[in-house]
Amino acid sequence: MLLIRFGFFSEKTGIPVAATLLGLGCFPTDHPNYVGYLGMHGNYGPNVLTNQCDVLIAVGMRFDDRVTGNVTKYAKQARIIHIDIDKAEINKIIKVETFIHADAKEALDALTQLCPVNRFPDWINEFSRLNELEFEKVIRKEFHSGGELRMAEVINRLSQKTDGRAIVVTDVGQHQMVTSRYLKLRDPRTHITSGGAGTMGFALPAAMGACYGVPGKQVLAVIGDGGFQMTVQELGTIMQYKIPVKILVLNNQFLGMVRQWQQLFHGKRYSFTEMDNPDFIKLNEAYGITARRVTKREDLDSALTEFLDSKTSMFLEVLVGREDNVFPMVPAGAGVGDVLLEAPSN
Amino acid sequence: MKEEFTLEIEADNNFSVLNRIINILNRRRVRIRRMMAHEDDQDFRRGAVVMLLFTTPEMMDRVTDQLEKLIEVDLVRFQPGSSRYFEVSERVSDID
Repeated sequence: MLLIRFGFFSEKTGIPVAATLLGLGCFPTDHPNYVGYLGMHGNYGPNVLTNQCDVLIAVGMRFDDRVTGNVTKYAKQARIIHIDIDKAEINKIIKVETFIHADAKEALDALTQLCPVNRFPDWINEFSRLNELEFEKVIRKEFHSGGELRMAEVINRLSQKTDGRAIVVTDVGQHQMVTSRYLKLRDPRTHITSGGAGTMGFALPAAMGACYGVPGKQVLAVIGDGGFQMTVQELGTIMQYKIPVKILVLNNQFLGMVRQWQQLFHGKRYSFTEMDNPDFIKLNEAYGITARRVTKREDLDSALTEFLDSKTSMFLEVLVGREDNVFPMVPAGAGVGDVLLEAPSN
Repeated sequence: MKEEFTLEIEADNNFSVLNRIINILNRRRVRIRRMMAHEDDQDFRRGAVVMLLFTTPEMMDRVTDQLEKLIEVDLVRFQPGSSRYFEVSERVSDID
């Protein structure tokens, strides 16, 4: 079990652990040594401190551009040890000091035996300090904004209710990044997303597959309104085979991530990102799927409870703020240390 | 420092396999100076491609690793210079 190996290694060595998008779940998000999620919309602490650490141990990651940002500015000071089962990953993106071509479980076992017991409280506190800064600048507003519902508070509430015990499948876009940021995870392979492929329309069929792959486990598909319409015909399969997948659509009536880029980097010149959606409730009802819509904060809790308690497939649409942005953000071409906590003033 | 390399690949003669091979080179901006692809004389389901590339030794190692990951590809090998390219291409031309 990779989770156990990671736990042993991190607890013995005292080394903090951050996860990439596809690594989420390999380490419990409530573990004291877990310092956050890496990537373009990852947590502030791990992104910034990547460029300050002295040793970086990369396990099964491929140094994707969403994690490294500008590679010429990535972890220049660090001695990098790369563990990967794929030989083709050796020095592909980042020149590493040591490469361990092995199964991650075996490599971590061997490293755990070789490494001395250690603790780095000051180093872990540095992550906490930066993540608290992120909390003040970003997360507090997301959770306590008033006004329109925010994606983050929906996912946070969902996460509190599922407590890391459901399989959550995400599509592509803002909802995907928000889910990755705020979802509590306990086990590997409970967070499923298309990763670098970036395929909108992935979540619904993948969630249906997960229902068959792990029968009896709660499976939730979290999707944006744009992605949902790309594979919406699969509602017919759900109806026909009575697949108990739960569908949560966070509807901002935009292709939100593209709109965010158009706003921040193209002078708010929105081009083909606004969505005129069909009535998703009627659409689901046409397929015999129970459907609810949430427009007010006070209805969210009861709707999520009904959604999760349903024994059959259910659809829940939550109308969220139309022009909310996902932060932190590493702008394209910038280094991970240049991560933004809010929109640039110009 | 960029130099010439002869790259030889043996693969299943599947539809679009050459496209997938060239994509790997194109994405890494590896310059293809000459190229010849042919099906196997004994078995039309098999094929081979030989290319004359102009790139760095490090890039050759990287593209070789990536090419070996293609499911249709059985063998990838390369050597510096163009002599091997002309040797193979002349042999194949003679057969044709």
